[in-house]
Amino acid sequence: MSLRDVLGIAVGNLRRVRLRSFLTVSGVVIAIGAFVAMLSFGAGNRRLVTQQFQELGLLFTMQVTPRAESDSTRVPLDDDAVRALGELPGVELAFPLDDLPVTVRLLGRESETTAQALPRAAFTTRLYSRLAAGEAPGEDGAGDAMVTEALLDELDIGDPDSVVGARLLLEMRVASADSGFAEAFAVDPDTLRDRLARVRLDSLSDQGYRRRLVFREINEATSRFMRGFMAGRTLHDTLTVRGVLEGGHQGQRLRVGPVIVPVATALRFHGAGLPPEPMALMRAAGGGDLFATEQAREGEFPQVTLQLDPRADHAAVADTVRALGLRAFSFAEQYDEIRRAFLFFDLGLAAVGLVALITAALGIVNTLVMSITERRREIGIFISLGADTRDIRLLFLVESAVIGLVGSIFGIALGWLVTRIASGVAKAIMTRQGLPPMEVFALPLWLILMAVGIGLGVSLVAGSYPAARAAKVDPVEALRGE
Amino acid sequence: MAEPWLQARSLRRVYRRGPSEVRAVDGVDLDVARGEFLAIVGASGSGKSTLLNLLAGLDSPTGGSIRVAGQELTALDRRARASYRARRVGMVFQTFNLLVHHTALENVELALAFNGAPRRDRRARARAILARLGLVDRLDHWPGGLSGGEQQRVAIARALVKEPEVLFADEPTGNLDEDNSLQIAALLGEFNARGLTVLMVTHDLALARGSARRLVRMHYGRLAEAPAWEAP
Ligand SMILES: Nc1ncnc2c1ncn2[C@@H]1O[C@H](COP(=O)(O)OP(=O)(O)OP(=O)(O)O)[C@@H](O)[C@H]1O
Ligand SMILES: [Mg+2]
Repeated sequence: MSLRDVLGIAVGNLRRVRLRSFLTVSGVVIAIGAFVAMLSFGAGNRRLVTQQFQELGLLFTMQVTPRAESDSTRVPLDDDAVRALGELPGVELAFPLDDLPVTVRLLGRESETTAQALPRAAFTTRLYSRLAAGEAPGEDGAGDAMVTEALLDELDIGDPDSVVGARLLLEMRVASADSGFAEAFAVDPDTLRDRLARVRLDSLSDQGYRRRLVFREINEATSRFMRGFMAGRTLHDTLTVRGVLEGGHQGQRLRVGPVIVPVATALRFHGAGLPPEPMALMRAAGGGDLFATEQAREGEFPQVTLQLDPRADHAAVADTVRALGLRAFSFAEQYDEIRRAFLFFDLGLAAVGLVALITAALGIVNTLVMSITERRREIGIFISLGADTRDIRLLFLVESAVIGLVGSIFGIALGWLVTRIASGVAKAIMTRQGLPPMEVFALPLWLILMAVGIGLGVSLVAGSYPAARAAKVDPVEALRGE
Repeated sequence: MAEPWLQARSLRRVYRRGPSEVRAVDGVDLDVARGEFLAIVGASGSGKSTLLNLLAGLDSPTGGSIRVAGQELTALDRRARASYRARRVGMVFQTFNLLVHHTALENVELALAFNGAPRRDRRARARAILARLGLVDRLDHWPGGLSGGEQQRVAIARALVKEPEVLFADEPTGNLDEDNSLQIAALLGEFNARGLTVLMVTHDLALARGSARRLVRMHYGRLAEAPAWEAP
């Protein structure tokens, strides 16, 4: 008996008991629907993350930073280090990445923002090659600047093309301990006279008064130092805007400063001293290089970005970088971790779907076992006509498989429908909350195939018991009597 | 003398029912020549059906041997026995045993599906045999819509459409009135005349005498051979 004959009989049998078949198939439809919807959510989220990583080229970048200042094995992240990093196998490009607090003047407008140094080669990477206007810095890009759309938003400039070729004025105030001390011990005749006038000479014999006086003097000297330190001095540079990079808005994972300046400019600004912030002072003081700022910061970068060959073994590159005495942070490693987390997430979702599938499987067992009793005579007739017990088993398995297959197909459709509705609701909520609407569901081919496979597999397992029982029907008894 | 086409020796079939056992067939020796029409008569419970089922390969004997055209049936594996039923044996039952949810035509075609006949031939062959049994205008009827005689003719068509070597008929007229019984018996005689070997179990001695050329009687699982009567 050919499989086609068996299939014909199986389908005929299922169609004869329409309601029962419909109910049994419905169980599978709901289970597969739940399974598909659940995993579709997992797949959608994973795709979202992957997309973001890929869009930003993050999968092929690695961040390198120096070890803690207190670490005796600390290796400076200087030009030599950058060059060494750039020559590592698997590294396509190494460029220092640095943020400088600057004031920017462009087309008569002004903004306090941060500038970032990038070498020219960086503009060949995906991260920094999406241009809204203009072009990448030229061959000799020493005087070229790039800006982002985010900066133009901040400056209220609507047309990106209007800034291409414009002059960009860069200002940075650098603090130094020198200017602080100059202020602290300033012998300004006016203030000195004021201070002396305030001293109550008749009370100088009082020890408490003397102590308060000295305390006050120290206090005032400290604040004069801070004032002097913070005021620092101002550095200038004038650059020409070459192009406008897309995006760069706050909160985006893309780490692009609103203004991108040549490395030479950044180094000059850096070398001049500390950023005028109390935190920078504290850090410098804590590191013991308050007076040696200039040397310590000379040519050192807080961070270097590596652009990796997509085919390279990222973990191996990270290990090499760490062996160099530097810290490495790989997005790819993080991505792997995220993917691992997603695997557990998916397993959890799949488990819920599987519980539904087990219920559906019991429905199949019930339906088929019941049908054996009703179909004893039919089984006897088949055997008398030359069926083997294997044919009988096959017949029941095929019936079960048809239930599973039809259930899977409609279940996938149901799951898809559910995710479409949920996706619409989710997008509406995101829009209402001012977020860009994202697609959090995906129905990749592997999920469809997996759903069919599992639907079919579960129904075959469920059908195997009824099939074995059907094969045990005694034809002589089944054919006898009324 | 050549070995008979079908030969049973010391055939036994014992049913166990708890501690007791029923010897439904208890040492039967039987020779059937090719083209014979043998009637088996006997009291109810004497083991006629059991014997027929054993010979048809539907049941397995507890002991003894069955040879069909020199081939030991009990030595065949499950699959070969299924093939024996599918290709060489036709069976007809008292209760017709038609698939009630299939039309007359479909019931007959089904025998060919198990028989391995090419799909494209099946419908034509089923139609032809049904026509020959006078059922041309009943092809698309369900068994429930047919008279007893018509149902049994459909069953005979199903048994014979694959052109078997032997037909085992277990009280084929047991549920029919006299007219229909005679008609069925005549049909079997007709096919037998064209070379079909027929073994028919019946209660109806007159019918047996009217159609069969030889008659054996079963008594408590044994064959009371040669009841001193053979058809001319
Ligand atoms: N499955 C079974 N289990 C136990 N005993 C059985 C079984 N099948 C048949 N028997 C017994 O075997 C004996 C022979 O039964 P069988 O059906 O062959 O008789 P029969 O001659 O065909 O009777 P009838 O004329 O009533 O059809 C009977 O006593 C019956 O009760
Ligand atoms: Mg009987």
